[in-house]
Amino acid sequence: MKIIVDIKKRLGSGKRVFGLEAAFSSDKDVVVLFGPSGAGKTLTLQAIAGLVTPDAGRIVVGNRVLFDSSRRIRVPARRRDVGYVFQEYALFPHLSVARNISFGLKHGWSWRLPLQERLRLEEVLEIFELTRVQDSLPRDLSGGQRQRVGLARALIRRPKLLLLDEPFSALDALLRAKMRQELLRIKERFTIPVMLITHDPEDVAALAETLVVYDHGRVRQIMADTQEFAPEQLAVSLSSLIPAPSL
Amino acid sequence: MDTIFQGFISAFYLMAAFDPTLLQIIWLSLKVSGAALLLATLLGLPVGALLALKRLPWRGLILSVVNTGMGLPPVVVGLFVYLLFSRSGPMGFLELLYTPGAMIIAQFILAFPIVTSLSHTAIVNVNPIIRQAARVLGANPLQEALTIIREARYGIMTGGIAGLGRVTAEVGAVLMVGGNIAGYTRVMTTTIALETDKGEFALAIALGIILLGLSLMINVTLRAIQRWGRASSGVVLWD
Repeated sequence: MKIIVDIKKRLGSGKRVFGLEAAFSSDKDVVVLFGPSGAGKTLTLQAIAGLVTPDAGRIVVGNRVLFDSSRRIRVPARRRDVGYVFQEYALFPHLSVARNISFGLKHGWSWRLPLQERLRLEEVLEIFELTRVQDSLPRDLSGGQRQRVGLARALIRRPKLLLLDEPFSALDALLRAKMRQELLRIKERFTIPVMLITHDPEDVAALAETLVVYDHGRVRQIMADTQEFAPEQLAVSLSSLIPAPSL
Repeated sequence: MDTIFQGFISAFYLMAAFDPTLLQIIWLSLKVSGAALLLATLLGLPVGALLALKRLPWRGLILSVVNTGMGLPPVVVGLFVYLLFSRSGPMGFLELLYTPGAMIIAQFILAFPIVTSLSHTAIVNVNPIIRQAARVLGANPLQEALTIIREARYGIMTGGIAGLGRVTAEVGAVLMVGGNIAGYTRVMTTTIALETDKGEFALAIALGIILLGLSLMINVTLRAIQRWGRASSGVVLWD
């Protein structure tokens, strides 16, 4: 699916100003935003999800224009059909696993779901191996389970694009490797393109099809040749990008 | 010394015998304060939520006014309500002065700022990421607000309980607008004041003990709610 991002956004005031100018496009299934903290990766994801409004630019997902400042288009977040898995997952702490996941299916006041959606919930609980903990609160789950709740909650609404903000950073190394494989399986199963943020070269090597390298609010490079994504190769390719600090 | 001792003895007799006057006074107190709190919550919670969730103009000023209201002297509220509902006052035609209705209004004015302010604080303190999560999961602005309010519910309950504590304990406002009419507008606090004046300590002591017991219950409930809220919140987001 074609994804086009071309946005500008200034944050803050006075001396503490951060300016984001990011432009990239991809028609691959896994886009990885890579770069140091504070480079503007999360801001980009928030802009795509509609949580932040860019000052100018354009965002297109598939055949849908989500944002276009010149045409005054701004689709509200709730109608963007974009799934978002937050860093640390942002589960609703007072809602059970089942209610967290069905939150996006809920219409109106009641928690009662129509039959079809109830079946869908059961199916998703099963896919993510959460059936046994469906009545637990998030605080009683393991890190891996929390992440699966975050994923399930986003995917149950059948979004057109899945955004993940540092999905593996809260997990230990073993679980991280496992969840990478799980993410690839999910991507196939739900046939959904994925855009994720990381600063871990291992994630890049395992997942990336398009690599977008961020630094200081700018996109430094867009790479689409997976040959270059092996960790040792990546260090070589990026050393030319990130200029040595001027003293 | 003897009168105090006698007072306590008689007080226990009154309580043990479920004295009808005693029960009637307690029941009226609970009705008036309960109704006042209900009104204060029905109005204060939406106002607090609006102040917390919307970028209203004058928000800072409104919050300062509300926070000042938390410390309103009950007698000033009594005076204000009295003027409003006295025969020559603007609402005099309602003939509410010296009725439980006027007492409810006076206590509502006392409880409203507390409920509003504490609701506001509770809602403001909900992690902003919760709002974003609701939004990307398709919540419309109303559902978004309800989600945040639900996450803040323990803090909001604290506000309600604090408001109840304030109105059950105050005497100035209800005395001025209720008139302390036996069997009609006499509540626990006003009865204590009057009986003490008359030198009849038995009923005053009995009511004092019950009022203290009620305060204790309110505070125990408050602590339980806060502990309970802490136990089931937050951890996921910040651990």
